[in-house]
Amino acid sequence: MVSTRLRVTALTAGAVLLAAGCGSGDSGGSKSELKLYNDKGAWKPYFEQMGALGKQQTGLDMTPVGYTDEPTYTAFIKTSFRTNVKPDLFTWSTGGRLEEIVKQNQVAETTKIWQDAIGSGDLTEDLKKYYTVGGKQYCVPLNTAYWGMFYNKKIFAKYDLKPPTTWAELEKTAQTLKSKGQVPFNQTTPTSLFSFAWFEQLLAGTDPDLYERLSKGQASYTDPGVVQVMERWKSMIDKGWFSKPGDKADPADHFKSGEAAMVINGTWFNTSMTQRGLKQGKDYGFFFVPNTNPALPKRSLVFESGPLCSLRKAPDAAASTKYLKWWITPAAQEKWANARGDVSGNPKVKNADPELTKVTEQAASDGNRLVLRYFEAAPSPVLTEALSGFDKFLNKPETYMDVLKSIQKVNEDYWKTHKAGS
Amino acid sequence: MSRSLSTNVRRAVLVVFGLAWLFPTYLIIANAVRPAGDYDPSDAVKPPSSIGLFDNIAEAWDRTAIGDTLLSTLLYSVVSPALAVLMGALAGYAIVVLRLKHGFAWFVTIFAGTVVPFQMLLVPLFVGYSKVTLYDNHVGLIIIYSAINVPLAALVMRNFFGNVAVSIFEAARLDGASTFRIFWRIYLPLSAAALAAVFILEFTFVWNDLLFGLTLSQSQTVRPVWAELSALTTDVYAGTPVPIALAAGLVVSLPTVVLFLATQRLFTRGLTLAQF
Amino acid sequence: MTSHKATASRPKLTVVPPQGNGRRHARGGRAGFALHGRFRHVYISPAVLFVAVLLYLPFLWTAYLSFTSYDGLASPEFTGLDNYRRLLEDDALLTSIRNTLLWVVGTVVLPVGLGLLVAVLSYDLKGGSWFRLPFLLPYAMSGAGLGVIWGFILQPDGMANQILSLFGMPGADTAFLQDGPGNTIAMIIVWAWQQLGVNMLLFVVGLQSIPRAPIEAARIDGASGWSMFRHVIWPLMRPITTVVFGLALVAGLKNFDIVWVMTQGGPGRSSETLAVTMYRDVFVANEYGYGSAVAVLLTTITGLASYVYLRRQVGREEPR
Repeated sequence: MVSTRLRVTALTAGAVLLAAGCGSGDSGGSKSELKLYNDKGAWKPYFEQMGALGKQQTGLDMTPVGYTDEPTYTAFIKTSFRTNVKPDLFTWSTGGRLEEIVKQNQVAETTKIWQDAIGSGDLTEDLKKYYTVGGKQYCVPLNTAYWGMFYNKKIFAKYDLKPPTTWAELEKTAQTLKSKGQVPFNQTTPTSLFSFAWFEQLLAGTDPDLYERLSKGQASYTDPGVVQVMERWKSMIDKGWFSKPGDKADPADHFKSGEAAMVINGTWFNTSMTQRGLKQGKDYGFFFVPNTNPALPKRSLVFESGPLCSLRKAPDAAASTKYLKWWITPAAQEKWANARGDVSGNPKVKNADPELTKVTEQAASDGNRLVLRYFEAAPSPVLTEALSGFDKFLNKPETYMDVLKSIQKVNEDYWKTHKAGS
Repeated sequence: MSRSLSTNVRRAVLVVFGLAWLFPTYLIIANAVRPAGDYDPSDAVKPPSSIGLFDNIAEAWDRTAIGDTLLSTLLYSVVSPALAVLMGALAGYAIVVLRLKHGFAWFVTIFAGTVVPFQMLLVPLFVGYSKVTLYDNHVGLIIIYSAINVPLAALVMRNFFGNVAVSIFEAARLDGASTFRIFWRIYLPLSAAALAAVFILEFTFVWNDLLFGLTLSQSQTVRPVWAELSALTTDVYAGTPVPIALAAGLVVSLPTVVLFLATQRLFTRGLTLAQF
Repeated sequence: MTSHKATASRPKLTVVPPQGNGRRHARGGRAGFALHGRFRHVYISPAVLFVAVLLYLPFLWTAYLSFTSYDGLASPEFTGLDNYRRLLEDDALLTSIRNTLLWVVGTVVLPVGLGLLVAVLSYDLKGGSWFRLPFLLPYAMSGAGLGVIWGFILQPDGMANQILSLFGMPGADTAFLQDGPGNTIAMIIVWAWQQLGVNMLLFVVGLQSIPRAPIEAARIDGASGWSMFRHVIWPLMRPITTVVFGLALVAGLKNFDIVWVMTQGGPGRSSETLAVTMYRDVFVANEYGYGSAVAVLLTTITGLASYVYLRRQVGREEPR
């Protein structure tokens, strides 16, 4: 009997030992190599190119650790604060989600980096606002993207259309396309994630103040201004200006096959286009969407900027800070923008692609009013409800009031426990 | 049964069903083989005009480090199901053959491990693992994959052992064999095929896991293959052309497909619950 | 105690072996040595330990969170039964309970039912394994491309619509994934496509393992066709049907992956299951407390259902 027990124990122990022999253990140790945790797993090649250049210029090596599911990633990073597994660098989002981790006293301050960079012109005062919590700055921009309209040059040429500069022109363009049997706007897919695209564009282009108040809990989703925007959106859907929701394909596939005429998207969408062999300037173009309300003094320009952050208690805080400082230098930014084929947050950076340089320059113009993307502007519970709601609306436009009411209910509950306007 | 339905009718029904089942499989293969540049989502049925499979695979390999992850994925997919099957068999043996007191309660306790929603385990497991340095460690992943697979193994082995004639056990005991010796020398060999069957199902599960692999590890040599592959298949910001993602998925599922095909015969004899 | 029954079921052992050490009676009421050994718990402990430490223990955290308000960052704030009260008022939860039930019924009818059909049709056919091959491939290729491929088929104006209109059948302009509860049913079909093979395989094994003697006896008694299947074959397959239905029950209740890949529970929460609602509330909306309450509800339902099922199926065979 004893031998039985011994043998079972030995067997189990043996198996575990065998397995342990293969374990790698924690890497840890000296910090000449930084781990950059990110939720953009597919950007690995671009991070690796940055890693190579960074090593040359700073002596610090960097390896990306990619996640692909944003919710799991967010939970992981938040949880890591309570453990001894701390990322050296990590990507995050601006708005409420940055605020909440700063308030936990977790994020390393970058006020000095911002001061210097604004002095040297590597970062802008406009952008600083979104990296400021309680008067201090945190993180640096990993990337910046502007939202606008990608259009199919061949289709525009065929019907003799030009990128519109006013809302009336945009409507006319859509009408023309529709009358020729061409659906003007492709859905920004997947709609479960990007159903907000037209909501933010129409609201920011109609009443940017209301848009900002809405995201701070100072306005209601049933505000007449918001309702009006939904009605406009609905009338556009009713006119048949949008492709059917529920299509799972990347809009770039429809650009390639020549079915899609226009789609609203962030400039990072260039990656989808170029991976399919489409060229900006030749196959497709990009324009900023004109304001719906022509009386507004400035053009509302939706933008998103993803922060690259480090922790106060990072394994090697000095190394992390050094890397952040390097990330925003023109040399690093130029490499990043060209590797990604996207615009840079650094206005001094010249893209290899003149079309992108043009976008960067236009975006920096005084005639724009930057508006934070809805995805970052709305608090998580409200955003979650709104994404489902708008997706429902796309399928059943007549439900717009119900959708607004259900978002407002969550909005109210949220701001009851979180001070509005903070 | 066989007399009421003529063999030909049965064959015909199976062929019709089978063709319907093959259609989506065809779509996967056709679009993985298609050169990435020819892909058009509204014309996906069209057979590929030329073979782009190898370019697609090369492209996928270029963008990710799938190759680096295969060895550790294999380690998890082999070791964890093996441990799970062993533990499940031991538990089933104790409950059914050794007639453990409160056997049903013990059985339910083990089986209910599958009831827990796995997503909810991620955060506490990560916290726990980071405390005992199991985070980013092969052993850590082997342990969790083993635990997840124990309930299925226990369920099948419990039912299997129940059908082995009790007289075998009793005779061996009367001959002076220890209970463990009987387990090791009689019950395990008798159920070798069932063990293998459960092993194959669990191998497939571990091989295809993304949930735990992604959250409980970070380095390329520890992360399993799907943690890498998902960068191509699920990341909306990537805009990866569909044929590249499909080709990569196809290659990565090759081991499980081969395993299934190679063991088809064993499988159908595998869970044979014949009276001994 | 079931000593009487246990003895009755094993009439062979009547002689008390002299070599038993005779210190005490073995469980099961037999005199002499410990027939079943005295370290039986050693055998079950690895399994129980693994499940308890790695699955139950972490779940306690969820159970605790369900009584709190928590955003994943600061400390959880104890709020008593608030989250459970909110469960009662949540309309979206009703939809996801309905969908979850659809999934359970659907799983039993489609992947399991069709799996049984294919198994019965093919198990004693010559070359049966070739006929079964098409059903095994989707499982072996699991996950790879499923979302994209079924997107082609089910999207508006997709292949399913084209096929229906080709044959002039109704439903040619149904948007299969855009409306509840139809989208859940569409996804159950996808699930059936992927899972049929496993169920079929298990059933084939069950069918091939049926002892010949009772079947021959029944045949002599004149049984054939349906009555043979219903009264002779089906009961003899019980060890395998318990496994298949037990797994289907749990898989149906906990369904997450397919929904997450195909619709993320949308549009407008119309295709959420309990597991999707839980994931959405915890990880997407960052309401750990409320999402944990959904998790506890899901676990309780799944636990009770499998307990009742297993109790009926196997509970009576064992000593308690």
